[in-house]
Amino acid sequence: MIKCVVWDIDNTLLTGVYLESGADLPGADPGLTGVLRELSARGILSAIASRNPPAAADYVQQLTGADFAAVECSWGSKADAIARIAAELSLAPDAIAFVDDDMLERAEVAAALPDVLVLTPEEAAEAPGWPEFSPAVITTEARRRSQLYADRRRRQAAASEFGGSRDDFLRHVGTQLTIAPAVPDDLPRLHELSVRTHQLNSAGEAVIQPDLARLLASPADTVITVRLADDFGDDGLVGAAIMTGNGRNSGPDVRVPAQALVATVPLIMMSCRALGRGALDALLAWLCRSAAADGAAELQVPCLVTERNVPMRLALAAAGLRAEAGSVAPDGRAVFARPLTGELPGLPDWVTVK
Amino acid sequence: MTTDQAAAVGAELRAMLARVTGRPELLGVPSDTPLFGAGVGLDSLAGTLLLRQVQTRYGVDVAAEDLNLDSLETLGTLAAFIAARI
Repeated sequence: MIKCVVWDIDNTLLTGVYLESGADLPGADPGLTGVLRELSARGILSAIASRNPPAAADYVQQLTGADFAAVECSWGSKADAIARIAAELSLAPDAIAFVDDDMLERAEVAAALPDVLVLTPEEAAEAPGWPEFSPAVITTEARRRSQLYADRRRRQAAASEFGGSRDDFLRHVGTQLTIAPAVPDDLPRLHELSVRTHQLNSAGEAVIQPDLARLLASPADTVITVRLADDFGDDGLVGAAIMTGNGRNSGPDVRVPAQALVATVPLIMMSCRALGRGALDALLAWLCRSAAADGAAELQVPCLVTERNVPMRLALAAAGLRAEAGSVAPDGRAVFARPLTGELPGLPDWVTVK
Repeated sequence: MTTDQAAAVGAELRAMLARVTGRPELLGVPSDTPLFGAGVGLDSLAGTLLLRQVQTRYGVDVAAEDLNLDSLETLGTLAAFIAARI
């Protein structure tokens, strides 16, 4: 599935060459302007890689009204520009399509980044009809995705000018993080997160919607959601976790010693938009505190250990969870655990728990 | 590995840390300050960027070799971990 289309400007999004047009600047290609709009409505991002000054990207943005999630205007290689966009948006190359009218540019990108889908402008005009560009579920978050990434660009620019710690910055921009139990209306977005998250996904596999619905209805399981907003924009539902066996339903007649109770978290997932904004740390802190309050003596998070989910392991380590050395199972999973005694990770003051 | 080597790695790590966090004051962070939590407050984003730079600079894949990422306890432990592998 394509998550981001990287566009060339000259003779692609524009009907001419920006720098060769003097005062009489070229117009936007009407067909591709429609494609930009349609992709955005489906939650597929657009970005720009162009050998032009940054003003050219601003010009295209004004003409088309599109929100570009990343803009690379430089004289360097387009393959390098696409690699930087992939890193900035935390996307794998196989989630990216590249559109350019120039055969040599297409050849260079195809050779350097074989997983990127390389298209001519004519092919791009047809792309909305292709399955790679047709997500099964389009959630509210998806429809607003382009705008959310544009918000993120502005937030990152502000962060790079801000002196001081991450927490100071999060406070400065009015970060509000809300942790609340999932409700049935959250199901499509939860399913989407389970499909789309890789770097911040502990299970490494999708959870289908009926399973999520069953978990929601089960008194023995907790499905908890994280919503994130700040002065730059409202990202909506960015993350969730499932917790089981936290002792919540053991009534007074259940004679299980507290130290035997283990709360297990089979799934933690978080949108990469929330990365660097304290959301995963807050969710882990809540899981520790909630499980402890319900009488569990230990929190366990089985986590797939891959190259891609290093950010998840860093957050687990920061929250004090450890796996036994050499305990990675043949399926690539290790159980990260911590006792729920002593000082538990704290929830910052911008977190609201409902 | 020598102590000198770990110290040299430590100096480079400070520069990387200041870059990935955008906080130049971390150029002076002591070797024994915890990287997570109240110390440096390294989060998963900055941590991932740091490990990526370490891999590019030294060819050491910390995440692949250290399941629990205990090497990231302090700047000193990370420098020693890297120095032992180059």
